[in-house]
Amino acid sequence: MHYVILGNGVCGMEAALALRRRDAEARISLVSDEHEHFFSRPALMYVFCGQLDLRATEPYDRGLYARMGFERVSGRVQALEATAKTLLFSDGRRLAYDKLLLAVGSKGRPAPWPGASGAGLHYFVTLRDLEGLDREAKAGRRAVVIGGGLIGVEVAEVLKQRGLEVTFLIREAWYFPLALDRNESALVAEHMRRHGVDVRLGARVEDVLRGPDSGLRGIRLTGGPAELACDLIVCTIGVVPNTEFLRGGPLQLSDAGAIQVDEQLRTSLPDVWAAGDCANVTWADGSRRPEQLWYTARDQGRVAAQSMLGDPASYRRGTWYNSAKFFDLEWTSAGWVPAAIDWDGGRIDPGPDLKTWFQRVPGRFESQRIVVEGERVVGFNMLGGRWNHELMLQWIHERRSLDHVLKRLADAQFDEEFSVRFAVRPEASGLSAGGH
Amino acid sequence: MQAGLVDTFRHPARTRGGVAWLVSGLLLVSYLLLYLGPIPVLGLHFDVFQKLAEAVHVSSKWTLYGLLYTAAMVAGGAYFLRRHARNSPYQRVRTIVVVLVQIVFGFSLPLVMTVFGAHEYYFSYFWPLKLEYLSPGYILHQPFLILAYSFLGSLLAFPLLAYFLGKRFYCSWICGCGGLANTAGEPFRHLSDKSAASWRLEKVSIYLVLFLSVLTTAILWVNWAIGKQHPDFARFAFKVQDGYGFGIGAVFSGVIGVGLYPLMGTRVWCRFGCPMAAILGLIQKFGRFRISVKKDMCIACGNCSTYCEMGIDVRQYAMANQSFTRASCVGCGLCAQVCPRGVLRLENRPRRWAAGEPIRVYAVDL
Repeated sequence: MHYVILGNGVCGMEAALALRRRDAEARISLVSDEHEHFFSRPALMYVFCGQLDLRATEPYDRGLYARMGFERVSGRVQALEATAKTLLFSDGRRLAYDKLLLAVGSKGRPAPWPGASGAGLHYFVTLRDLEGLDREAKAGRRAVVIGGGLIGVEVAEVLKQRGLEVTFLIREAWYFPLALDRNESALVAEHMRRHGVDVRLGARVEDVLRGPDSGLRGIRLTGGPAELACDLIVCTIGVVPNTEFLRGGPLQLSDAGAIQVDEQLRTSLPDVWAAGDCANVTWADGSRRPEQLWYTARDQGRVAAQSMLGDPASYRRGTWYNSAKFFDLEWTSAGWVPAAIDWDGGRIDPGPDLKTWFQRVPGRFESQRIVVEGERVVGFNMLGGRWNHELMLQWIHERRSLDHVLKRLADAQFDEEFSVRFAVRPEASGLSAGGH
Repeated sequence: MQAGLVDTFRHPARTRGGVAWLVSGLLLVSYLLLYLGPIPVLGLHFDVFQKLAEAVHVSSKWTLYGLLYTAAMVAGGAYFLRRHARNSPYQRVRTIVVVLVQIVFGFSLPLVMTVFGAHEYYFSYFWPLKLEYLSPGYILHQPFLILAYSFLGSLLAFPLLAYFLGKRFYCSWICGCGGLANTAGEPFRHLSDKSAASWRLEKVSIYLVLFLSVLTTAILWVNWAIGKQHPDFARFAFKVQDGYGFGIGAVFSGVIGVGLYPLMGTRVWCRFGCPMAAILGLIQKFGRFRISVKKDMCIACGNCSTYCEMGIDVRQYAMANQSFTRASCVGCGLCAQVCPRGVLRLENRPRRWAAGEPIRVYAVDL
């Protein structure tokens, strides 16, 4: 049996390890054109700022491939030849598979603005992106980061640290409306501004201006003042599945380019599975989208391996949780925290039964938000401290009341010793209507 | 991103570049001159450090060394506080305490004692790190209170404190060796070797030194009992004590321990040699201290492992959702601090939920 895994990220690696755990004999090939070894993609910002070297971001020692008997195939795959069950590489090589896992991940969503493509336009998803930005990000240059999400804030942080002038353009009325409400976002924006980032909310890009030699000159904002001059642009408006080479082929893709999979992560083709960022999976709310998270990619890789081995395993998304860091502010989210604004900027009605408890800790960049449905706590959004999402998910599953949770919330604190203990403050909002 | 750690991997002095080798060489030579004094075979007929001490009107080279050591810790402590303590109450308290302990107990008090005609005594050191503090030839000549302090400290208080708080209470809060590592040695903490091979080596070497320290102490007590009747044994015991003092005390903990900071990281002695760390580590394994891991939140970035000065590959535990206690962990807390997802927490509270229980619950009707 020859298992071929296309993609050497966390999803592909976890699948390979899961396959090897069960099948000591099988031939397992990992295909990648990015890096010889599995590394942690979320750590790229630390490589950029010199806090880590690339080697340090490799979770396993370099003997792993040999020890596990993984064959490493370096190269760019150009086409999937489903009837012949082979992969065609751009240099003409072919690799036959018995079972194939597509774990090709995603890449930065291409900049859609007129004039955008060309010199000075960067993304921050792949190792190549990092290298390109690293070459051009010189102290004193003017950078514009476009896109109010998690990658954007990381890029703003590392560019600012390197001594660039950073303008952060956010299309929505506040930063990261998919996860933060107006209060929380204001807190993050204030924090970013204190770090010297020029945060511009409600800023829509009209087009990118280029000089006579097509060199980057600046950006024009919709309805804004004259042009915003800059030396480089980092486009961080999300990621899209890395599936261009599959377009027009027999494999079914969603309109957004994600690979359609069933619960067993099988694609529309026999003996082909897909998992991780590139797979169109079903979410807890029934919608079908890719999940672009580290831990879900890992889980999907494991499930895909089981499925390839013939187990009845199926991928079910658990209750949502996530965490991130906005400069020094840590953020933990668990359960259902309804978005205030959807991707197109339209307001979302949170539903009649939702109420919110909120407090901002005075004098500190710290806030807590608890979402309540009827009598039951359904979600947490915590900013500025460290929280244990396990306990929060447990309370949600146990259908606990707000009183119950507030009394015990300090138990879920995960801050280091000597930190200030959580307490309900007199200025806490009490329950107010709406999910945010 | 941790402001204090940015550019760590771009600095030649911090990535084993030429500067690092130069600094390491200077440190090694200085320590050799300090411990050996005159080296006639090399044509060095006087004690450089003693001459230096006299030149600055300090009575002995050891006082001068203590002064330099303490100054390095104060300067390094300020550097550490600026780098790491802005958002970290744990680092703030820990660093201030370890520097104060050095100033008061590691330098001033012993000096004051000699001024008043008493023997100097370092109240922040204990057996077996300082072998003579439980060795008859030294400790039995101390006032009763100091003798009781040393015995109760080494044999009762320390095991108890290590059980409840972990070995960090000593290694990162009191000890001068650890104190220097965590202050002046701070820029080099990431250079510790993380390989499985070095973990194996560490387990052999540290328990070997512990064995040697216990053996030496035992020989000294036997000598105390029978030495007068057996002059041959007394000579042997003296040689053993001398050999341990030079080989382990001077060469391993001093010359190698500090001299290799820029090449092998700051805790070479603490990790591979210190018999006190060995004992406290064994107690820690069975005690309450642990590093708790938040389930399924690790992004495998490697900051924790990289900045562990004891060479523990923390990331493996974080990726495996496994709360853990490693004997070598000195509880400096940097792994938890540098984690960008808040996955790690140093704890010594009684455990709340059973380790290893699956926490993630799938398919819940929200």
